[in-house]
Amino acid sequence: MTDATPHNTQSKQSKQSKQPRQSKRPEQLHGWRRTLHRAGIIVSTMWHHGTGRFSMIVLGIWVLVSIVSLFWTPQSLWATDGYNVWAKPSRTHWLGTDGTGADVFSWLMAGSRTNLLIVLLTVIFALAFGLLLVALMVSRNTALAHGSVVAIDALISIPTVLIALMLAVPLGASILGIVIACGFGYGLNLARVARPQALLAARSMYVQSALSNGASATRVFFTHVLTNIRPVVIVQCSLCAGTAVLAEAGLTYLGVGVPSGVPSWGVSLTSSVKFISIYPMTVIWPGLIVTVVVVALNLFGDALHDAADPLSNPRLRKAQ
Amino acid sequence: MKYMLRRLAMFVVALIVISIIVFVMLRILPGDIAAVMAGTNATPERVAALREQMGLNKPLVSQYFDWIGGLFHGDFGESMLTGQPVATVVGSRAAITFPLIVMGMAVALLIGIPLGYLSVRTTNRVVQSIYQSIAIIGGAIPALWGGLLLILLFAKGVGILPVFPAQGFPSTGWANPGKALMSLILPALTVGIIVGATIMRYTRASLQTISSSGYVEMAMACGMTRRKALWHVGLRLAMPQLVSVVGLTFAEMITGVMVIENLFALPGIGTGLVSDLGHRDLIAVQSELFMLAAFFLVIGLLVDLAHRALDPRLGEESND
Amino acid sequence: MTQQNNGSPTPQNEHSSASENTPNTSASTDSSLQAHAKSEKPRSPWRTWVIAIIAVIIVAAAVFAIVNHTRASRSAQQSAGEQADTVTIGLKLAPTNLDIRNTAGTALDQALIGNVYEGLVSRNSENKVTPGLAKSWDVSKDGLTYTFHLNKNMHFSNGDELNAQDVVWSIEQLEEKKYHDYDTLRNFKSVTAPDDDTVVITLSKPYSQLLWSLSGRAGLVFDKDAKYVAKTQAVGSGPYKLAKFTPNNSIELVADENYWGANKAKTKNVTLRYFADDDAAVNALKSGDVQVLAPVNATLAKSLGDDYTVKAGDGTDKYVLAMNNASGKATADKRVRQAIRYAIDHEQLIASRGGADKALGGPIPSLDPGYEDLTNLYPHDLAKAKKLLSEAGYSASNPLKLTLTYPNTYGTELGDQLRSQLKEANIDLKVNVVEFSTWLQDVYTDKDYDLSMVDHNESHDFSQWTNPDYYYGYDNKEVQDLASKALSSTDETQADEDLKAAAKIVSEDAAADWLFNYRVTSATAKGVEGFPFNMNQTVMPLAQLTYTPAK
Repeated sequence: MTDATPHNTQSKQSKQSKQPRQSKRPEQLHGWRRTLHRAGIIVSTMWHHGTGRFSMIVLGIWVLVSIVSLFWTPQSLWATDGYNVWAKPSRTHWLGTDGTGADVFSWLMAGSRTNLLIVLLTVIFALAFGLLLVALMVSRNTALAHGSVVAIDALISIPTVLIALMLAVPLGASILGIVIACGFGYGLNLARVARPQALLAARSMYVQSALSNGASATRVFFTHVLTNIRPVVIVQCSLCAGTAVLAEAGLTYLGVGVPSGVPSWGVSLTSSVKFISIYPMTVIWPGLIVTVVVVALNLFGDALHDAADPLSNPRLRKAQ
Repeated sequence: MKYMLRRLAMFVVALIVISIIVFVMLRILPGDIAAVMAGTNATPERVAALREQMGLNKPLVSQYFDWIGGLFHGDFGESMLTGQPVATVVGSRAAITFPLIVMGMAVALLIGIPLGYLSVRTTNRVVQSIYQSIAIIGGAIPALWGGLLLILLFAKGVGILPVFPAQGFPSTGWANPGKALMSLILPALTVGIIVGATIMRYTRASLQTISSSGYVEMAMACGMTRRKALWHVGLRLAMPQLVSVVGLTFAEMITGVMVIENLFALPGIGTGLVSDLGHRDLIAVQSELFMLAAFFLVIGLLVDLAHRALDPRLGEESND
Repeated sequence: MTQQNNGSPTPQNEHSSASENTPNTSASTDSSLQAHAKSEKPRSPWRTWVIAIIAVIIVAAAVFAIVNHTRASRSAQQSAGEQADTVTIGLKLAPTNLDIRNTAGTALDQALIGNVYEGLVSRNSENKVTPGLAKSWDVSKDGLTYTFHLNKNMHFSNGDELNAQDVVWSIEQLEEKKYHDYDTLRNFKSVTAPDDDTVVITLSKPYSQLLWSLSGRAGLVFDKDAKYVAKTQAVGSGPYKLAKFTPNNSIELVADENYWGANKAKTKNVTLRYFADDDAAVNALKSGDVQVLAPVNATLAKSLGDDYTVKAGDGTDKYVLAMNNASGKATADKRVRQAIRYAIDHEQLIASRGGADKALGGPIPSLDPGYEDLTNLYPHDLAKAKKLLSEAGYSASNPLKLTLTYPNTYGTELGDQLRSQLKEANIDLKVNVVEFSTWLQDVYTDKDYDLSMVDHNESHDFSQWTNPDYYYGYDNKEVQDLASKALSSTDETQADEDLKAAAKIVSEDAAADWLFNYRVTSATAKGVEGFPFNMNQTVMPLAQLTYTPAK
C-alpha cells in the first residue's frame, strides 16, 4: 500500500497528457506545463499538414458560427413573409428564403449550433458506452468478458435507423432519439474496434505487475488500457461525430430526427426538398455544409491521431 | 466451436429481447389505432366499437403472447388497417428494397474495391491524394443530398441530362422489368456511391496493412511484381475483412436506403415502415421492426461465421 | 515523481500500434501463400475488372433496349386522336383499406362513392342532393316520413339484384353495427320496404339534412348476399368495378359493362394512383404516367405549361385554428381569441401557399347551407390585437404564451408562419407538430391544448359548434338553439337563415379562427374531359371521364 501515492500522480498525469504512455526522461517538463507544451506541438503539427489545417479551419468556423448564432443572425429566424416565399438570393436574404419566407442563411447559421450539440452529445454518449463495453470485455470475469463480446457481435448488426425508429415511437421526433441511436451504434463499434488492443494491454506484463503490486482493476483500466487504445478511440470518435451529422440529416428527413421549428441542417435540407423541380438551387447549401463538415470531422480525427502519436510525430518524440 | 455456440445463444436472446422492446415501445405511445380509423367526426361509442372489434381491449401480456405465438408459426399477423397479412405486405415491399440493396451493393463493390486497390497500388503522391479525396468526400455526402443531386442531374423533368424517371415505381411493378429497373437506377447509384466510398476506405486500409506486413514482401521475394503481389496475395488476404465490412455496411446502408426510398417515392420497406408508424398500425409495425432486426441479426451472424471460416488465423482467438 | 516502477512500456506500445489495423495477424499462413504465389499463372489483374465492366455495359444496354422497346410499343398503342381506353388519375391521400363502413377518411369517399358504390341518393359537384338509386322521393308534411321510389332492374356488379331489401338491410346494419357516419342519420326511427321498389324511412323528429346525409356514406347500399373481404375488396352497384387494390399505392377500376343505369362509364379502365410526394406527382403528370392530378401543389402547378388545364375547384375544406374555449385556458378569454384573430394576416398565408385558397371568416364554407361572407368581421389589425391583449392583462414584458399543437400531415410552414405573425402582437407561440395519432389523443380526445390546427374537410359539419364536448369546448346556448331549430326545420330557406345566424355568432365569439377555405387545384392533360374540379376530394364521379390524346 505504500506505493499508492506514486501510482496516483501517475494516473492523473496520463489522463491529462495527450499521448500514449512513454518512458520518461529526467529533463522533461512537469505537470500542466508539459501537457500544454504537448498540446501546442500537436496543434502546430496538425496545422502544418494540409488536411489538419483544413479540418481545423472548418471546425473552427463551425464553432464560431454556432456561438455567434446564439446572439445574432442576419434576419430573425421567425421573420416569415408570405409574399416573399422561395425568393432568390438578394442583399437582405443572402441565400434566399424558404417556403415561409424566412431567411435560409439565418436558419443554416442557427442550425450549426443544434448540429454541434448533437455531435457533442453523441460522441460523449458513444464514448461512455463504448468504454464501458471495453471494460467489460477485458474484465477478468470470463463469463462477463465472453458474454459482452458475443452481445456486441450480435447487437452491432442492428442498424442505427431501426433503433431511431423504435425510439421515435414513444419519443416522437427528438434530438435525444438521434443521440441515443447514434451513440448506441457507435459505442458498439468503438468497443469492437478497440478490443484487440485493449486485450493486449490488459494481458501485458506491466499490467500483471501493476496488479500484483496491488493496483485496483479500475485504475489499471484507466492508466494502462485506456492510454493504449487512445489512438483508436480518437479516430472512432471523429468517425462517430461525422456519422452523427449525417444521421441527423437522414433521420430528420424521415421525420424521426430534429423536430420542426428547431433549426438544424437536416431541417433546412428537408424543407428544401419539397420543390426541387422549380427551386433546385435551394438544396445545394445545406447539403454542401453537411458534406464539408463531415469531411472535416473525419480528417480531424486522422490528423489528431497522427499528430498525437509519438510514433508518427517526431516532434513529439523530441519534446520528451 | 464454443464461440459459435455462444454466438447462436446470444442470437436467440437478442431476438427475444428485441421482440419485447418493440412490443413495449409500441404500447407506451399516445394515441391508438381505433381513434385513427374512426377519424375526427366520430363518437366515442364508435371508437369503442372499433377497439372491441380489433382486440385492443385484451390484456397486454396476452396480446404479446398472441403475437409471439403467431411468429413461431410463421404468422406475422395482419395489418390492422389494411387487413393484409404482414408477411405478404413485407414481401411485396421487399421486391423493391431487395433489388435496390443488391444493385446498390453491386455499384458500391464495383466502385470501392478497384478504387481502393488502385489507391494502394499507385506510388504517385498526387494520384494517391486524389483517391483519398474521393474516399473521404464520397463517404461524407448525406444520402438525401446525393440523391437530390443525381435527380438534378439525370432525372426526367428536372435534370440536366433527363434519362431516368425522377421518382416513383411503375404501377405495373416487375411485370414490366425494364421500366422497374430504370426507376431503381438512380436510387441504386446514390446508395452505391456513398457505400462505395466506405468500401474503398476499408479496402485501402486493409490492403495497406497487408502490404506492410510480411506477406506481400514474401510474395515479391518469390518472384511476383508488387502489383501482382498486391492483387493476388493482398486482395485475397483482405477478403475476410472485406466480407465483414460488406456485412456491416449492409446494416449501415439501410439508413441510406430508407431515406432514398422516401426521396424517390419507392414503395419499399423503408417507406412502408415510416408510413405504418405514422398510421399507428401496431401489428404491422412491430412485426416489421422485428423482421428487420432479425434479418440484420442473421446477417451479422452469417458474417461472423463466414469471417471465421474464411480466415484460419482467427481459429485460435476463439478459444481464449 | 518518478514512475520507475511502471517499467518502460515503449516496446509494448510500439508493438500494439503496429498491429492496430491488423489484429490477429500473428498466426502464419506463409507456406500456403508461398504455394499460391508459385502456382498462380501471371494473369493481368485488369482482366477481371475489364470483364466486369463489359458485363455491366451489356446489362445497361439491354435495359435501355427493353425500355425503349416498351416505350415504343406503348406509344404505338395510343394512336393520336382516338379515345384512350385507360386513364390514370394521380391523387394524394391514399386509403389504407377499402372498408368504407369502418374506416374514416375522405380518400374512400373520393375513390368509391359514385364509382363502385352508390347511395340511395347522390351528390353533385355543387354539393346538392340528386337522384341516385332512388329516382324520386316524397317527404311528408311533418317531415317525419321519407318515401323513396327506386329505379327498376338494378343489380350489383356481381349480378345480384338490387332492390328495396338491400337498402333496408344496409341502413339497418349501419345503425346496428354503428358503422362510420351512422350518427349522421339523426332522429332515425325505422326503415321499411313496403315493396321491392319502395323504401320508407321514418324519423322521430324532423331532420332537415337527412337527404344530404343519405348522399354520403350513410346512404350507401351494399349487397346483403355478397361475401367479400371488405378491407381489400368492394362489391357495389356503380358504373365501375374494383379490379385491383394495392394499399397506399393504387386502385384499379374497370368499367362494368352491364351497369344497370344510363350513366355508363365512358373509359374502360381508370387507375387511381396515390403520390404522397408532391414533386413525384407532378413528375408523373409531366412524364405522362398520369393524365389527371388532383390535388396538384399550387406552387408546383405554375411549372406546368400550356399542355395542361390547371384549375382550382371549390370545396368544403376549412383550415380551422381551434382555440380551446374550455375554462381554465388563456383562450377561454374572448378578448384573447379576438386578438389572435386580428393578429393573423390571412391574405399573406394564402399568398404563401400559391394564392388558390379563399379567405373564410366563419365556420360555414360557400358550398354548405348557411354560408355568408364573414371575412370582414376580423380583418388583419395589429393595433386592435394589441389593445385587446393589454385589456386582457398581457403586454410585451408579460407576453401571452401559447402552444400550437397540430398533426404533421399539414407541414411545418403554417406553424412557423403563425408563430411569426402572432409574435408581432406579442404572443409567444410554441409550435408542436405531432403525429396524427398523438394529436387525436392529446388534442381531440383529452382536449389538452391551447391552439390547434386541422383541416376539417367534412361538409355540413356545423354541429361541431353545438357540441360542448367536442374538442373546441365551445358552449353557446343561442348557437345550439339556432342550430337545432335549423336541423329540425322543414323549411329549407328558414333552416339556412338560422344556420347563417348561428355561424355569425360563432365567428363573432371568435370561437376559433378560420385560416382559409382550402381550394383544391387540379391539373389535367390536354384531351381529358369530364373530370370534376369542384369537391373532387370527397366526390369524384368518373363515369364521364375520357381522354383523347392530342397529336
